[in-house]
Amino acid sequence: MLRYAFRLHRWGMLGFGLTAALSTYAQGAAFLKLAGSTPAERAAFVKGVTSLSKQLLYLLPAPTHVDTLAGYVLWRSWGTLPIIVAVWAVASAGGAVRGDEEKLLVDAWLAAAVSRTRLLLTRFAAFGLAAAVVAAAAGLGTLAGAAGVEAIALQRVAGQALALWLFTLAAFAVAYLVAQVPGSIRGAQGAAAGVLLAAYLVNALGRSVDAMASGAWVSPFHWYEVTDVLAPGGHLDTAGCLLSTGLLLAGGGLAVLAFRRRDLRRGLFARPAVPRVRDLPPSPALRRPVARELYRQRWMVATWALATVVFAAFMVAIGRGAVDSMVSIPALRAVLTRGGADPYRAWVDVEWFSIAQLLLAGLAIHMVSAWAADDHEGVLTAELSRPRRRWGIVLERAAAAVVAMALVAACGTLAAWATSEAAGISLDPAGAVRATWLLVPFGLSFAAIGAVASVWWPRAAVGALGIIVFLSYLLSELGPILGWPDWVLNLSAFQLYGTPALSGVSWSGLWTMLVIVLAGFGASAALMERREVAA
Amino acid sequence: MIETTAAIRIQGLSKDYGAGRGLFDLDLEVAAGEVFGYLGPNGAGKSTTIRLLMALIRPTGGRAEIFGLDCQAQDVEVKRKVGYVPGELPAFGGLRGREIIAYLAGMGGGVDEGYVKRLADRLQLDLSQRFREYSSGNKQKLLNVLALMHRPELLILDEPTTGLDPLNQQEFYALVREAREAGATVFLSSHILSEVEHICDRVGIIRAGRLIKVASLEELHRIRTHRVEIEFAGEPPLARIRDAAGVEDVVAEGRRVHCVLRGSFEGLMAALEGARVLNLTSHEPTLEETFLEYYAAC
Repeated sequence: MLRYAFRLHRWGMLGFGLTAALSTYAQGAAFLKLAGSTPAERAAFVKGVTSLSKQLLYLLPAPTHVDTLAGYVLWRSWGTLPIIVAVWAVASAGGAVRGDEEKLLVDAWLAAAVSRTRLLLTRFAAFGLAAAVVAAAAGLGTLAGAAGVEAIALQRVAGQALALWLFTLAAFAVAYLVAQVPGSIRGAQGAAAGVLLAAYLVNALGRSVDAMASGAWVSPFHWYEVTDVLAPGGHLDTAGCLLSTGLLLAGGGLAVLAFRRRDLRRGLFARPAVPRVRDLPPSPALRRPVARELYRQRWMVATWALATVVFAAFMVAIGRGAVDSMVSIPALRAVLTRGGADPYRAWVDVEWFSIAQLLLAGLAIHMVSAWAADDHEGVLTAELSRPRRRWGIVLERAAAAVVAMALVAACGTLAAWATSEAAGISLDPAGAVRATWLLVPFGLSFAAIGAVASVWWPRAAVGALGIIVFLSYLLSELGPILGWPDWVLNLSAFQLYGTPALSGVSWSGLWTMLVIVLAGFGASAALMERREVAA
Repeated sequence: MIETTAAIRIQGLSKDYGAGRGLFDLDLEVAAGEVFGYLGPNGAGKSTTIRLLMALIRPTGGRAEIFGLDCQAQDVEVKRKVGYVPGELPAFGGLRGREIIAYLAGMGGGVDEGYVKRLADRLQLDLSQRFREYSSGNKQKLLNVLALMHRPELLILDEPTTGLDPLNQQEFYALVREAREAGATVFLSSHILSEVEHICDRVGIIRAGRLIKVASLEELHRIRTHRVEIEFAGEPPLARIRDAAGVEDVVAEGRRVHCVLRGSFEGLMAALEGARVLNLTSHEPTLEETFLEYYAAC
């Protein structure tokens, strides 16, 4: 049973393990080129990274010893890994709790005289093994990236991997517990993502706003960050590790209790069904093209819109504090006030719309997962039993994606605008509008690639698109630092989007994104015409 | 050029999945207004045939027409005339039954809401419930409503009574008969012999991807066997039982007699006249055990 449960995690383990290994390896391998080898180059690098770290404090912990490869990789790569593994933990816990129930796997196990406690602990242990592989992959990537450049003691790498492993399990335990409450896999993943997002924001606020620093101790993200054993002079934080262990034990224990108490395929607090007093007619939207797709995805779109609003408000709210500390550094002040610009406005224009890009990419992945689910859950078969053109299904998906992305982007900008007004930051309306509508072709570029994958190989679509988004982001981050040519950089949609609020529309970028959108959805429609359904 | 009088006309239709799996050289014709049963064990190729008719999968050879329309090239026009029950339950998640009907009805039109309500009432299906809250039987009922809701000219039903209780099975058979009386053609796949006996005019028997026989209902009755076990209070009338029409393989164990009965019970019941029967049980063998063995040499 453990072997089978472990097998259920194999694709996640492979994908996230590769991501972790590539991320740590790439940062390590790029270190010498970035930091230089002379003392003067190294000092300039430290100065630059210190400035950048203030700018990225909402995303990454404060760096230590970035003059060493280990310190730099710890900050740049191991600092972002908690976000990545938290996504995996949410997806896996939702799948393990609710996905297995929807596939009737839990029924089969329980019928085979496996106790609920044993079943849950086995699923937990299987994820623990997979998480250990991912943490080890991050460690191996670090060692490989450092090979020939800097010797890093294996114990230091192992200590950092241990902290990551404990964090991953703690995040999984929280997600596992929260997933007991709603009755569906999507509800479970949404609720778990909401709880972990709140924990992330509390920690990020603690980093960015001094008055909130002590509050960060309630967040498991903070318990991980306090371990910096990978960097020279760093330490494995016992308190942080114990708190993570305590959370995983408490979360796991409460999840066992909740699982023992509830019915399969029902929420933890589900009440007996009562006859509906008024049997409401179905929404008229269900009968109209595009509107019906949006209606089916309304909770998904609403969740992303809400997350975007929260992030927008958060990013703008921390803007003043972040900018005030950044402008004390001459190099950053020059960047932020280039051309006489208002540095606070520049913060919102660059930092918020960078986060908005990531959120839109996330929405694209989520929409693609819904398209792929329609395929293997038989909904596509039901749709094709009605007189529908196959290409019409792809067209309708594309149109629904346009509306959803426009809506989410607009919500984010409105929230950023309102928070800016409250914080006394004046935004450029034309720039904000430009940056907002350009988010739509940006997000659609990923949706179009996902549309091809969801028709060609539905089960691999989400993983493949996730890797493409990650590589695209990595390219836009590393490429300029490593001085890669433009044509390579332009393979990234993040690069094609540019910084429209500050520097106007990159027309070549826009046209390229539109070509990707048309080619992607066109190829998806052509594949849909030819492919077999429910074969 | 193929003539266009039949509801379904299939010529040399093949779908080769490799390793001997799939459907091979199927030739079949179903007349308009006919209820045709498509029988075969699991994995015989029933669902493959149906998915080819519905253009969900592509043939490796041959062609199929529905009301003269090519199933692959004119699939949208075909589906305007067809109501389809898939062999596997889809997962519509949190949508309510009524919402699923609105969603799929909106894709083709021609759905009378009053008729949908009547169908749901007859099948005792609560359309206000969420799909994930339905039992598997109720999910099957919803699929049956979806197939019938637009009063199609042709019903293609892939094991439509799976999970239904006997009362609802009877109600569904009644709905199929009514559809036929209204002029519809029915193509019903099943692996239950008694089901096709209830409603079909003719049956096609498929095994290992090949159609081995198209039989009338009378022929089906002749093929059909029962394993009968009779317990007597006194000495069993063995000679009369052995001589009875349709009785084979008679084995006596004290006051208990086992035999195989092919066709009607009439002969056996006459042979038992005057004997004191304590218990009589009849077991309908699986499809494999009866007509597939019967046609093994075909």
